[in-house]
Amino acid sequence: MTLLSKGMRATQLYLPNNPVYQRAVENIRGAFRHIWQATDDLHFDVGETDLRWEGAVVYHQEQKNESIAWTLYKDGVRSLLFKPGVEDQEIVGFLRVLHLAKTLQADAADDLLTLLWQEDFQFIAYTFRELATENAVPIEAGETIPSSSPSDVRRVVVEEAPPPREGLVSIDDFDTTLYFLDDTEIDFLHKSVEREYAQDLRGNVLAMLFDLLELQTYGTVRAELISIVENFIPYLLGAGDFRSVAYILRESRTILQRARELIPEHRQALEALPHRLSQPETLSQLLQSLDEATVHPTEEELSELFQETGPDALGTLLSWIPRLTNERVQELVQRAGERLAQANTAEVLKALASADPATQFEMVRVAGRLKLPGAPDGMGKLLETGDRALKMAVVEALTAIGTPSAMRLLENAVADSERDVRIAAVKYLAARGHRNAFPSVEGAVTGGKLKNADLTEKMVFFEAYGSLAGANGIPLLEKMLTPKGLLAKREDPETRACAAMALGKIRSPQARAVLERAAQDKEALVRNAVNRALRESAA
Amino acid sequence: MTEPTAPARRASMMETVQTTDGFLRLAGREFLVMLYTAFRSLKLYPVENAQVQKALDDLTAATTHLLEVERELEVRLQGEFLFVNSTRLRLDLDNYASFSHILGQFRQCGVGAVRIDEGVDRRQLQIFVSLLLSFAAKEASPNKVFELGQKLSDGGVTHVSVEPPLDTDEEVEDAERQKEAAKRTYARSVAVTKEVVSSIRMGRSANVKKVKRAVQAIVDQVLNNEESLMGLTTLRDYDEYTFTHSVNVCIFSVALGRKLGFSKLQLYDLGMAALFHDVGKSRVPLEVLNKEGGLTDEEWRIIQAHPWLGVLTLFGLRGYGEIPYRGMIVAYEHHMKNDLTGYPKSVRARELSIFSKIVAVADGFDAATSRRVYQTVPIQPDQVLKEMWENPRRGYDSVVVKAFINLVGIYPVGTCVILDTHEVALVHAANADVSHVHRPIVRIVAAPDGALLHPGTVVDLAQRDAGGNFPRTIVKVTDPQKYGLKISDYFV
Repeated sequence: MTLLSKGMRATQLYLPNNPVYQRAVENIRGAFRHIWQATDDLHFDVGETDLRWEGAVVYHQEQKNESIAWTLYKDGVRSLLFKPGVEDQEIVGFLRVLHLAKTLQADAADDLLTLLWQEDFQFIAYTFRELATENAVPIEAGETIPSSSPSDVRRVVVEEAPPPREGLVSIDDFDTTLYFLDDTEIDFLHKSVEREYAQDLRGNVLAMLFDLLELQTYGTVRAELISIVENFIPYLLGAGDFRSVAYILRESRTILQRARELIPEHRQALEALPHRLSQPETLSQLLQSLDEATVHPTEEELSELFQETGPDALGTLLSWIPRLTNERVQELVQRAGERLAQANTAEVLKALASADPATQFEMVRVAGRLKLPGAPDGMGKLLETGDRALKMAVVEALTAIGTPSAMRLLENAVADSERDVRIAAVKYLAARGHRNAFPSVEGAVTGGKLKNADLTEKMVFFEAYGSLAGANGIPLLEKMLTPKGLLAKREDPETRACAAMALGKIRSPQARAVLERAAQDKEALVRNAVNRALRESAA
Repeated sequence: MTEPTAPARRASMMETVQTTDGFLRLAGREFLVMLYTAFRSLKLYPVENAQVQKALDDLTAATTHLLEVERELEVRLQGEFLFVNSTRLRLDLDNYASFSHILGQFRQCGVGAVRIDEGVDRRQLQIFVSLLLSFAAKEASPNKVFELGQKLSDGGVTHVSVEPPLDTDEEVEDAERQKEAAKRTYARSVAVTKEVVSSIRMGRSANVKKVKRAVQAIVDQVLNNEESLMGLTTLRDYDEYTFTHSVNVCIFSVALGRKLGFSKLQLYDLGMAALFHDVGKSRVPLEVLNKEGGLTDEEWRIIQAHPWLGVLTLFGLRGYGEIPYRGMIVAYEHHMKNDLTGYPKSVRARELSIFSKIVAVADGFDAATSRRVYQTVPIQPDQVLKEMWENPRRGYDSVVVKAFINLVGIYPVGTCVILDTHEVALVHAANADVSHVHRPIVRIVAAPDGALLHPGTVVDLAQRDAGGNFPRTIVKVTDPQKYGLKISDYFV
């Protein structure tokens, strides 16, 4: 009993894969095996605080919250019998049931007895006393008071006896073998029971509710049905049954189309269902529970749900993506978000204008991934006000989208306050050969904007200049690389090196000739740049 | 069934939950399936056939396995049940055919028990099976089992013996105990149902735990001794009709489910759904529910709403840990009819649940055979069964009806009959041997001279006299009210 008590505690505190749990269970099994060497079964009488075996107290615990005896006694169990074989599987189940019974509230739908019954133990038997009489009226035998004299009874019998009344069911209708079902009928029953337990119970009940909503025109009845449906949704979400929630939203639309005499109040309630689900608070709860769940819906189920909730769920979905810890869920939500974004430009712009930076960021990334043509309209402001990471994401997205409006925004980004943003924008514009960007690039190259820029940035702008200017840019670049005349302004080595790289981008014989003339420049930086440019232009 | 070791006579308040020995159930079942295979093989093929040989090998192996653990093996018939070393084997759809065949073979040979002990070999088992087959084909006689025993002995079969069925005081005492247990279960179930329905009418939360216990007790009682509980369905209390009706439908449904081979937990699901099938009536005004005479269209519409009102009620049933979906489905569907032409109407695709079909039959039978405000003379049970069986417009599933008739017999418990001896009797129980389905167990309640008897004598109409004839035969079903009989008085 001590081992059993310890075992109960171990099963409460630890998971089955924990060594402490496993050791406790093994100890219990060992103890039972030892007992079966001496006896064929183990019978205990259950008292309030103790268990007795053959009259002797073998377990005593005064503290009720710790006591196995009290847990049994309070729900009516008065004796317990264990049989050989119990140690294999059932004893663990028994301890689990005991623990569960201890934690049940007084108004719970189960108690120890109902839980034990459901387990259908084969090696554990128990007797119990029904504690409440349930106001049951005992059934007592009555006494028939003859209202007819024996002679009257006899007369009626004789009158009635022949012939047999037609009401008899013919015995020929029945198979006279002992059991009556043929193979087809047994098969029918097998399949019926299988179907019974395989069916989607919730779906079945929901179909009922919507049939009633459609056909019952009484206002009070509809109000009650709508209330049931509304309250059912959070329950279904908690159970992870997204398909059923999607079904509710879909059927609500059907009701709106088909139901007769639907009063405005009920119509509004049904119309509001998808919006209620898309509310940030509700959706956040759903996403949180998804993240914490051990079993996840399929992508199809989740998409079905979000398709029904509507586009205003998009912002909340996006804001949650970086918060989700489960990769699978993250992936699912991302894909669901992408589907919504693709179908709803207005919501995309709304998400881009969101006050939540996380939402904005995710929307930008999604827009870039999906190359959403309408997205650039919402990105301009982000380039003005966003932080570095956001701006970079915007540039990347605009780069991917590549529409004229995206290119225009990138042109503006050439003059952005963030270095990395400028660099990224210029690189892309140059690669695309976007001539509209030339004035800003030229301005940067010839003006003083790059004066305090680092070499990398300078290089990017000069190379862009080279790509965009073409042969027209050679005179300026030559002047920078190899100034002629004693009074000519000599640029610093970095600028001269950048000019060389720019000439390399032009790839014309003239540009090459300029580079070759500067190949022996005294400055190592310049010389290296020239040689690199020559190699690149030859490639 | 083994009882836990306990003081000999516990107080009547104690209820014992019995469990069966796991090994015996499994090994016993295997043994019987092997025995069945051997019967079938020997019936179809000569003994040299490979299939027969294999069947006998398997039978020997199963027997040996059992004897290694148990040292001796006793297969006993008790009513419809098979016991292996006092452990009752459960019938389900997977072993239905094999068990029924064996029961039939044993009965036809007049065998009540077979004993096999250590030392039995393949040869002896082969002789036993062959003899059983040949004796089963012979005409019935009271001495058949003894002749069989002699043949076994003559054939050198020393480790297999057969016995006639037991009829001991122990069985009578057990029957009494079961009856008392059944009465307690029934009374408690009615009280719980009344409490739940009353709570619902008053908008209070219901104690679902009590309902669960009541249904579990009904399932246990049906599994242990269905007859005792079925007899109490005759208590069709006029004043408490709503509650007794729900309990009766629950009992019929669970008993029917057992007949169809449902598992214990499936029976529990079925029982819970059955008990709540009419819960929607708690929202129907009492004046409509209890109205004498015809209903107006509006009133009829309200009555017809009770199935779906039941769904709404169950949604609102606080105290339920989880939503009782099956109960809702049964409450909704039980008047829909097999072809969905009943009520309520369905717009979305629907296939009737097997549970709904079972409850529909149980509900229809109990309602038709009860006295109601609108039905002062209840319809006789056999008429109800005939109508269910022959009239497809009633919308009952034919397989379920067939099973129900097999459950309650052609003459259901409580039917009042006239015998060819001019005695009046009440059907006490269906005859377990369906080949005598028209010869139930009856209780004689009026003597040939017209004297009413209470409690009367229970006789088995299938029992022959010394000359091999049936002393009594039913000639007619009659109305008990003609004789001033209150049926339920004979079942408590």
